Amino acid sequence: MLEEQNGSKTFIIFELAGTTYAVRSRLVQQMEMIEEITPVPNAPASVEGVVFSRGRVIPALNLRVRFGFERIPIDLRTRLIVIEVGERNVGLIVDSAREFISIEASAIQPPNEAISGLSGKYIEGIATVDNRIVLILDLSEVINLAEILIGDQPAHTGAQPAKQG
Amino acid sequence: MSIAGPEKNSEFLAEFLDDYFAESEEHLAGARRGLLALEHFVHQSNIDRASLDGLFRSFHSLKGISGMVGVRAAERLAHQMESYLRALRDWQATLSPEGMDALIAGAGLLEKIISEHRAHAPITDPSQLMARLDAIISEARNNRPVDNSTTGSVSTEPDPLRTSLQALAIGDGKNVWRFDFVPKPELSARGINVNYIRAGLQQVGELMHAAPRVTPEGGIAFEFLVSTSEEITSFPDLFDDGVTYARQVLLPAGGAATVDVDVAAAPVEPMTASYQALSSRASNMVRVDLARLDELMRMVGDLVISRSRLDERVKHLEAALPAPEWRPLQETSLAMERQLRDLREGVMRVRMVPIGEIFERMQFVVRDLAREYEKQVKLELSGHQTEIDKFLVERLMDPILHLVRNAVSHGIEAPNERTALGKPREGTIALRASAAAETIVIEMEDDGRGVDAEQVIARACAMGIGIRGRGAGAGARGSGVGAESISGPREYEKLTEAKIEKAENIDSAELLELICAPGFSTRAEADRASGRGVGMNVVSNTIRGLGGTLELKTEAGKGTLFRIQLPLTLAIADALIVQAGHHRFAVPQASVREVIQIDASEIKILENNDVIVYRGAALPLLRLTRLFGLPEDQREYFHAFIVGSGLNTVGIAVDRILGQREIVVRVINDPLIQVAGVAGATELGDGRAVLILDAAALARPAEGRRIAAHNNGLPRPSNKSVESRTDA
Amino acid sequence: MSMKRILIVDDSPTMRRMILASLRDLKDIAFDEAENGLEAIEQLAISPVHLMVLDLNMPDMHGLEVVEFVRSHQAYRAIPIIVLTTRGDEASRSAALEAGAAAYLTKPFLPNVLCGRVRELLNGES
Repeated sequence: MLEEQNGSKTFIIFELAGTTYAVRSRLVQQMEMIEEITPVPNAPASVEGVVFSRGRVIPALNLRVRFGFERIPIDLRTRLIVIEVGERNVGLIVDSAREFISIEASAIQPPNEAISGLSGKYIEGIATVDNRIVLILDLSEVINLAEILIGDQPAHTGAQPAKQG
Repeated sequence: MSIAGPEKNSEFLAEFLDDYFAESEEHLAGARRGLLALEHFVHQSNIDRASLDGLFRSFHSLKGISGMVGVRAAERLAHQMESYLRALRDWQATLSPEGMDALIAGAGLLEKIISEHRAHAPITDPSQLMARLDAIISEARNNRPVDNSTTGSVSTEPDPLRTSLQALAIGDGKNVWRFDFVPKPELSARGINVNYIRAGLQQVGELMHAAPRVTPEGGIAFEFLVSTSEEITSFPDLFDDGVTYARQVLLPAGGAATVDVDVAAAPVEPMTASYQALSSRASNMVRVDLARLDELMRMVGDLVISRSRLDERVKHLEAALPAPEWRPLQETSLAMERQLRDLREGVMRVRMVPIGEIFERMQFVVRDLAREYEKQVKLELSGHQTEIDKFLVERLMDPILHLVRNAVSHGIEAPNERTALGKPREGTIALRASAAAETIVIEMEDDGRGVDAEQVIARACAMGIGIRGRGAGAGARGSGVGAESISGPREYEKLTEAKIEKAENIDSAELLELICAPGFSTRAEADRASGRGVGMNVVSNTIRGLGGTLELKTEAGKGTLFRIQLPLTLAIADALIVQAGHHRFAVPQASVREVIQIDASEIKILENNDVIVYRGAALPLLRLTRLFGLPEDQREYFHAFIVGSGLNTVGIAVDRILGQREIVVRVINDPLIQVAGVAGATELGDGRAVLILDAAALARPAEGRRIAAHNNGLPRPSNKSVESRTDA
Repeated sequence: MSMKRILIVDDSPTMRRMILASLRDLKDIAFDEAENGLEAIEQLAISPVHLMVLDLNMPDMHGLEVVEFVRSHQAYRAIPIIVLTTRGDEASRSAALEAGAAAYLTKPFLPNVLCGRVRELLNGES
C-alpha cells in the first residue's frame, strides 16, 4: 500500500492501548486536546460524537472502540487527530500523541501475518524506529464507512498487540 | 393641523418598525458616505451642492420616519443636523472642523439612538450634541453674507440642477445634450419610465437639469440636460426607449440655444454596455426580507433532498431497466443536481452585499481614534466591493472595529516615535477584502510596532493564562488557529503541557491564542480603552462561531496582519435552544408550531405512550431524553414544542427552553454522523457542537420509534456487543 | 362606484407604506406610488389620478414645483393635493397653500387624521 518506496516520509506517532501507531503526517490536518465531544444519538458505537474542526462538523471516532480495545475515559493526554482522507475529515481519538518522526521507506516492512489479528486489516506496514515497533495505519481502511456503519468488528478478545521493543 | 405624537398609534406603527430600521440603516450608510465626501470641504464655503443635498435628504428622511415611529430623540437630533446642512447650503457658510466633527458625532449618535430603540434600551439624550450644533449654526448665521440673507427663510429650495446649469453656462468645452422623453403607458409597462431614463442618462454624462413640461398637444414630456466630455454622437438605445435628443449649445451669457441634430442621420454606434447594466439595476432594485430568502433557501434544501431520493430510486432501477431507457433517466437526475446547485448559489447570491459598508465606518473610527491617541493614521481600503452575506456584515462589525481600534491605539506608534524609527510620520492601516473560491478573506494590516511577544507572555503569565489547549480553557484553540497548530506537533506538545518559556519559542498561532484567551488584556488596553472594545476573546469567538478562522502575522517593528477567513455561504436559521438530559439542542423555529409548559401530573400513559390533552385532543408526547437515550431527572414540569401536522402532530418534551437565537447551520456530511432526527450542527460561540434537531423526522412515528428503539439499548442488526458510553 | 386612484409621493419607502396603511380602509381606491416629483408627474400622464399625497423634500423636483406644475396644467388642475411634510418645514405651509395645495399636514401624522382628510377631499369638500 505504500505508493512510494523511496526516501523518507514523515509520520505522526500516537499511542493506543500500549501500542505505538503511525499515520502519514500529510493526511493529518491538526491535533488537539479534547474539550467536549457532542454525542450523536443512533451513531455507531465507535463514533463518540461530533466536534467542530475548521468550521466543519466532523465525527470523532474512538479508535480504541474501533480496534476492539476497551474504552477509557478522556483525560489530559487524550488527543484528537483530525485526518483528511479523500473528501472526508474524521477526528481520531487516541490515548496520546507525541511527535513527528521521519521513517525511511526502507525501514518499513509489509504487515506480518502473525500480528494481523486485531487491527491487522488497518495496517499498512510495520517499522522499527529507535528500537520501537511502530504500526503504520492505512487510514482509508480505518475510517471505512461500510465497516463502521455495519459495526462488524468483533469485541475485544484479549489478544495482545505487538510488543514494544 | 399640527399633530401630537403618535403614541396612540403604537399598534399601527409596530407594523413598520422593521421597515424603519432597514430604511434608517440605508440612510445612515448613505450619510456616512456623504460625510466622508464632505470632509474634503472643511474650511471651505463653496461646498459641492450634490453632496450637501444627499446628506440633507438622508437626515431629513431620518427625521421624518423617526418622528413617525416615535423616536423623538432621533427626530430632534436629525432635525438639528439638517438645520446645519441647510445653513451650509443656503448661507454658503464655511464648514468648520467643529462643524464636521459635530456632523460625524451626530451620525454616530443617531445610529446609537436607533439601535437603543431597537433593543428597548434606555435612549441616550442628544441634548448636549444638539446644543453644540446650535452654537455652530448660530455662528454660521452671524457670519452669513448679507446679500444672501433672504434665502433660507422659506424652504422653497432652488432647483439644484438649474443652479449647476448656470454654473456650467460659463462653458468649459463640454458637450451638452438635451433629451426629451414622453412617458406612455406601453413604455411604462415595459419598465421604461422616467426613473429608468434618468438613471440611464446619468450614465451618459452629468445630469444637469430634469423637469417636466407640457407639450403643445397638452401632454407631458420630460426634458433633461446632460453634459458629456466624450464625443458621443448618438444614443440608439435611448432612441428605442422613446427618447429624442438634440445637441444643446450654451451661450456664455447663460442663455441657451438649440441646434437640432437630425437624429435619423446620426451614425448609429453600439451603446455602451454600462448604460444598459446600470440603468436596469437602478430601476429594478427590490428590497427583500432576509427571512423570505431563508424560506427560499429551505425550499431549495427540500428540493435537494427530494432529488437525492429520486437518484436513489433511479439507482435501484438500473438492474430492472434496459440501459437505453435507464441512462436518460440517470442523466436527467444528474442534470437536475447541477441545476439545483446553481439555484442554491443563486439564492445565496441574493443575500450578498458589499463589505464596503463596514469599511466606510472604519474611516470614522480611525479618524476619531487617531485624534484621541494623538497619532497620524491613514486608512487604505481595497476590495470594498467584495460581497459577503448580509448576516456576516452585521456580525463582523464588532470584530473588525476591535482590530482597527487595537491597531490605532497599540499598533501605530506616535508620530515622533515613528520619525525616530525612520518610518513615515503617518501610519497606515490597510483593510482588504477578497473572495476566493468558497471563502472570503478580510485582512487588517498596520505598519506599526508589531505584537510584542515578550510583553504578551509576561502579561499572560501574570494573569495565569497559558497555552493549554481547549480543555484547559484557553479560548482560541480550535479552528481559529488550526491552520498553524499542526506545523509542529513537537512544539505544540511542549507548549501544551510544559510552560511557555521564551518569546522566540512561540509562534504566531500561539501568540494569537494568548491574546485571544479569555481575560487577557494588555495593560494599555485596560487603562485607556477598557469597556469600549469587545476584547480579542470575543473577536475570535465571533469568527469561530461563523465558521471562520483568524490568523496573525506580526513582526517586531514592522507591523501586524490579522487575516479573517470565512465561508462564503452560510445557512442561517432562527432556532430555539433547548436542553434535555444535560445536552443542548437547537430546534429550527420554522418547524415549531407552539411551545407549551406541561405539568408532570398532566401526562397520561396510554399503552406505554405518554399523552397529554392539548387543545381538547390527545397529543402524543415524546421525551427527547428517551428518544436519544439521555439521562433523565425527575421533573415536576417540562417544556414541549409542538411539531408536525395532522395525525403526525407530536409534542417533544425537553427539560428546559434556554432561549431563541439565530444559528449558523452546518451540514453534516460524513455518513458516520448522519442520523435520523438530526439535521445538522451549530455552534453557540463556545466551540462546542450543538445538534440541530430535525423536528419533522422526530414527528414521524416510524422514525421516532426507530430512534428510541436504538437508544433504549436494543441490539443492532449486527451481533456486536453493546458498549456503555462513557461520554457525558 | 368607479374606482379612484390615489397617488402617494414620498422618497421614503417606509413613509409610503405608512401612508398607504393609513388609507387602506377606504373603499374602491387604487393606490400608486412615486418616489420623486418627476415620477409623480409621469404617473399623472399615464393614468388618471383623483388625489395626491405629496411630500415636499424630494430629489430633483421639489414638492412645491410639483404643485405648481399640476396647477398650471389644464388637465390636472382639479386634482386635490395633500401636502404631507416633515415637522420643521412649517415655513413652507403658506407657500404650499398659495401654490394650490388643498391641505397641509405635518409628519408625524395621525393615520386617522390623514384618512379623514383624504375622505373629505375625495367627496368633493375642500
